[in-house]
Amino acid sequence: MKILVAEDQADLARLLQIAIERQGFTVDIANNGQVAVDLATQHAYDVMILDIMMPVKDGLTALKELRQAGNDTYVIMLTAMAEIDDRVTGLDAGADDYMTKPYSIQELMARLRSLDRRDKQFETGPINIANLTFDPQEQRLVAHTSVRLGATETRVLKLLLANPNKAIPASQLLQVGWESTDGADETDLWITVSYLKQKLAAIDAHVTITGEQSGPFTLITTVGNHHDD
Amino acid sequence: MNIYGDQAQYLPLILTDLEDRLTDLNQAQPTKLYEHLIGRVKAEPSMIEKCHRKGYPVTAHSALRECKDAIAIRLVCRFIEDVYTTVAVLKQLDWAQVVTEKDYIKNAKPNGYRSYHLILAVTTPYPDVDGHTPGQYFVEIQLRTIAMDSWASLEHELKYKQNIDHPERIAKELQRCAEELAACDLQMQTIRHLIHQDEEA
Repeated sequence: MKILVAEDQADLARLLQIAIERQGFTVDIANNGQVAVDLATQHAYDVMILDIMMPVKDGLTALKELRQAGNDTYVIMLTAMAEIDDRVTGLDAGADDYMTKPYSIQELMARLRSLDRRDKQFETGPINIANLTFDPQEQRLVAHTSVRLGATETRVLKLLLANPNKAIPASQLLQVGWESTDGADETDLWITVSYLKQKLAAIDAHVTITGEQSGPFTLITTVGNHHDD
Repeated sequence: MNIYGDQAQYLPLILTDLEDRLTDLNQAQPTKLYEHLIGRVKAEPSMIEKCHRKGYPVTAHSALRECKDAIAIRLVCRFIEDVYTTVAVLKQLDWAQVVTEKDYIKNAKPNGYRSYHLILAVTTPYPDVDGHTPGQYFVEIQLRTIAMDSWASLEHELKYKQNIDHPERIAKELQRCAEELAACDLQMQTIRHLIHQDEEA
């Protein structure tokens, strides 16, 4: 998993980073709410951990902005006061979970591991974007006509579709597309991306993938012509 | 009386002549346009049945003018882009004009059928049903990939077989199969591009 931590206290942020990396996850640190919003707009995270009390932009405002922009990443809020009002406000603003300070890092790590298991266990339903419907279960793409996808194409496209308009690095796509021990490289990824581009074009999807051969790759919507018969 | 009237004798001659012209055309290209071709003159009973179905009088005029597939040739190509290259070449011919075209590759039929259909009007040395010499005849050209062709032959079996168990299930499986074959066609085309890209580099 890829995790964003928004925490303004440098020593605590560092502690969290070490603990999370020890779980085998990757982590980015934001030292205020605005940096968190900027990072989340550019990268695809599986979980975001947001402190409420932060300079420049507080965690609640950052969360509201991200949700408004359509970001549906799982969010854990860190609330300073153990007051019910604070937790309610956080959940109402779009948080999925919260922990009250002082919290146990061990417990936070256990929650991340639980989310990781859940992510791997449950497939998502069909995803719609522009005129395209993508069904990961059926490995099927439908726009003007329809076509099938291979398993690797399905995993790569799923990450791109969940994060439109973001430049996703080749390393991250390789991580979701192939088992880590497979030894897949950027050429494998490029072939898979080429398949996806051909298939999207062939079914007249108003969606394509941009990017040079070495990545990063970005899924974008294109202006479709609506006079097809 | 033959449904094709006096023109019946010319149809096989026109078909053979067209097959020869297309074969020459194929050999004149730097890379061949199609893998193989297959032609036929529509059998009389099929043409009579078609006229009935369409509500046309059973006459030579209906068979050669209202229906435009008395003569038909199928061009089977290796890759999807070869289909489009071939269509472009056919549109440039000085001995035939494109009357209608239907792109069932871009607009696949709901059952999964994929092919490119062209009706050509061909000028021949033989008299036609309207009494003109040289005469004009319609020819249907179907273009598809090898994968689309094998799918179509299987679907044809389903269409003409009576009393099969679970026809909806079979139709659904055929539809899925058409999507998987379309995926393979696109993947092979992509691989072809990658090979040529490496040659250029």
